[in-house]
Amino acid sequence: MNYEVIMLVLVFVILMFLNVPIAFCLLASAVVVLSLSTDFIPVTTAVAQQTTTGIDSFVLLAIPFFILSGLLMGRGGIANRLIEFAKSIVGWFPGGLAFVNVVGSMLFGSIAGSAAAAVSAIGGFMIPSMTKEGYSREFSTSLTITAATTGLLIPPSNILIVYSLASGGISIAALFLAGYIPGILVGLSLMSVATIVALKKGEKFGKSISFKRVLQTGARAFLSLLLVVIVIGGIIAGIFTATEAAAIAVVYSFILGVIVYREISIKEIPEILINTVTTTAIVMLLIGASMALSWVLSYLNIPQNLSAALLALSDNPFVILLIINLVLLFVGTFMDMTPAVLIFTPIFLPVAINLGIDPIHFGIIMVLNLCIGLATPPVGTLLFLGVSIGKTTVPKVIKPLLPMYIAMILALLIITFFPQLSLFLPSLITN
Amino acid sequence: MKNLIEKIHISLKWILIILLAVMVIDVSWQVFSRYVLQQSSSITEELATFLLIWVGLLGSAYAYREKAHLGIDLISNKLSSKGKSYSEITILAVVILVSFFVFVFGGLRLVYITFTLNQLSPAMQINMGLIYSVTPITGILIILYSLDFLGDTLKILNNNKE
Repeated sequence: MNYEVIMLVLVFVILMFLNVPIAFCLLASAVVVLSLSTDFIPVTTAVAQQTTTGIDSFVLLAIPFFILSGLLMGRGGIANRLIEFAKSIVGWFPGGLAFVNVVGSMLFGSIAGSAAAAVSAIGGFMIPSMTKEGYSREFSTSLTITAATTGLLIPPSNILIVYSLASGGISIAALFLAGYIPGILVGLSLMSVATIVALKKGEKFGKSISFKRVLQTGARAFLSLLLVVIVIGGIIAGIFTATEAAAIAVVYSFILGVIVYREISIKEIPEILINTVTTTAIVMLLIGASMALSWVLSYLNIPQNLSAALLALSDNPFVILLIINLVLLFVGTFMDMTPAVLIFTPIFLPVAINLGIDPIHFGIIMVLNLCIGLATPPVGTLLFLGVSIGKTTVPKVIKPLLPMYIAMILALLIITFFPQLSLFLPSLITN
Repeated sequence: MKNLIEKIHISLKWILIILLAVMVIDVSWQVFSRYVLQQSSSITEELATFLLIWVGLLGSAYAYREKAHLGIDLISNKLSSKGKSYSEITILAVVILVSFFVFVFGGLRLVYITFTLNQLSPAMQINMGLIYSVTPITGILIILYSLDFLGDTLKILNNNKE
């Protein structure tokens, strides 16, 4: 087994550093490693089959729908209304605009399933307004990038759907509920960083909160926020599946953006659709390729062996969780979230279950951990998107990002060691 | 040749737009028919999943030409223009090899085996080989696009020599 693992890592890392697209690195390593012990011709067929059937799932359909509804919301005036609402609630704090950025991202995350949509929708508006108020462009960009990750914990969340698939069908409703408190906690930890920066900058409290303004902006954002009730409420009440809820989110945000708010014209629709296809296809090819690689690994008994090796290290759940977290933080820096979840869930989840850790809690730990990786170089999808929207560069944002990484890691440790933070809300629907 | 590839790409774009639109309508119809018309059918669910396979894989070929797939450019950023061309050629070679062996060769065998086993889908009774045929098609498209990229890179390399 050892030389197979070494070979796998070697092929993958070499191809990745050559800048071969990640999905092709995954497929090539799957074929090479399996060919070491099996005939080449059936191997190609098996990998083709695993890749194709890996996407063959009704659950995964929620992903393109949440991507599409996210794009529609970003363009259709929904994001602006959420930002105005956030401003009326938290805008008067020292660091008010920074708070608005974080709360706006969290609100956006509560109706959209992907964080990339939040970076472009919130960042496109908030980065310029924050720089106008005297925040540095780099700080504003960093905050947008990290705040967007809260949307991956706050439901709906595409990555929690992928985890549900990787874990063999843990209830999406339970996972979605589990994400609320951890998502809010990450938001609060980023707001503490923002407060320190704002106080250093010499900001004071603004005019105190105006309830009239909260009600006004709240009323304007009402139709947007109603989506939370429809989508999440519908899933939790068991009225429809996550996929159906996602399709309803598309129809709802289409009606809102095109007919009610009239901020999207019909002519823009094909462009929005093809952007959805591109983003969806990138994720789907990664899912197919990761499923193929994960299948090859389990065919070679590698997850079982790694799990056993990990359990031999210690039987203390805290120690093991700490080790898993360190490994995932490392993996997250150079691997995108989706393949990381699909490849490492079969390896780590059995260990976690063996030590009595709830699979829902474990999923939240894993997703929060990999969220940090989305904001770190060399591979950080949100980082690259963020700097292009913020019109700055990766080396420049590293310094303001550092305290935010620390804040997120602190939140990760709290979530890891206090399972109730994740499990309290899901326990309400199962009891 | 360039013209033909561009035409294929634009047709691919519109096919994908239509497939995605049908997918949205199909699942919305599923919810509507279940709650409003009180009748559920297993066809909508199956159709949506098949559309996802097609959008996912064909869309990968589209995204490939748009250079949208994720990769890291830690090293290639630091290379000279000649070095960049050579690294580009290596990447294209890997993509072509993987596409050929996995998508085209493995995919065609998968389609062939599925057809011989006469494996039908549960609801619509479509031969699954037909659904899986998207895999070799995707492979062919990616190879075609790669060869086009390869031509461009070789041209740049030649111009630099002169």
